Amino acid sequence: MLLLMLLSGIWAGAQKIATRTGNIKFEASVATYEEITSENKSVSAVLEQSTGDFAALALIKGFRFKVALMEEHFNENYMESETYPKATFKGKLDGFDINKITTTPKNYTLKGDLTVHGKTKAISVIAKVYKSSNGLVINGNFDVKPVDFAIEVPSLVSKKIADKIKINYNFLLVK
Amino acid sequence: MKKNKIVLIVLVLVLMCGGTYVYYKHLIRPSRNIVSEEPVFKISAAKLSQEYNANSQKADSRYLNKTIEINGVVTKVTDSVMMVDESVFCLFGNKLKRDLIKNKIVLKGKCIGYDELFQEVKLDQCTIN
Repeated sequence: MLLLMLLSGIWAGAQKIATRTGNIKFEASVATYEEITSENKSVSAVLEQSTGDFAALALIKGFRFKVALMEEHFNENYMESETYPKATFKGKLDGFDINKITTTPKNYTLKGDLTVHGKTKAISVIAKVYKSSNGLVINGNFDVKPVDFAIEVPSLVSKKIADKIKINYNFLLVK
Repeated sequence: MKKNKIVLIVLVLVLMCGGTYVYYKHLIRPSRNIVSEEPVFKISAAKLSQEYNANSQKADSRYLNKTIEINGVVTKVTDSVMMVDESVFCLFGNKLKRDLIKNKIVLKGKCIGYDELFQEVKLDQCTIN
């Protein structure tokens, strides 16, 4: 009986749900110029359901482009992924309560530290949270500026790369 | 005079062809195809994960962005993802058969780095040898 109580206590204390195959897409295109889009299908994320604590990690080499040259420039010139192999987020879904989550998407404020290219910046974005048949979905989109993460875009190509990069994320978290 | 014109036309044509060639060959060249690349390293999944756990920066300098071949036992299969020896995450381009679980396997993929959240090494664009 005691063991059972102890065990249930452990379960109640660690209500982590996670994914290793989260999705992040970004777009940095400027109208009339070449399309710049990329997708990473192997982003990891963990949510502690009892507190709303949320962490995500994307490996930069996991971002794929259609054109090789773009992928090379992204890795070598902008993200310097040999030196900074990952981007991370660590924060909290404000006011998260698992009992209030339904299949209807509900907006939460996701606050925390975003680290890209070795630079950390506090961000606060809106995230949609809802239950799906096999887990919990967290998704949304926000903009980032390369300059905030000390990513320099040479003036020669700055016309072709947007000042604001559109980021779209989608995580299906399961037990 | 006529000769000069012909030379000029030929020159322009050559330049155009060259330009087009460079454009296709270099600027819009498709991304790496890991399937057709030879592995730079052949290593057991256990050894790879051990090296990453010990020192991920050092391991990155050796394996990051390289095409590597790993061997081990399949411990989990979900959709297009396979875990090998509970420590190496392998993303495939297609859905995998669940009956691969517990089988010994040799596979090839691109090392994209170390995931500290799960303490796992990640490979993408994997194919089974």
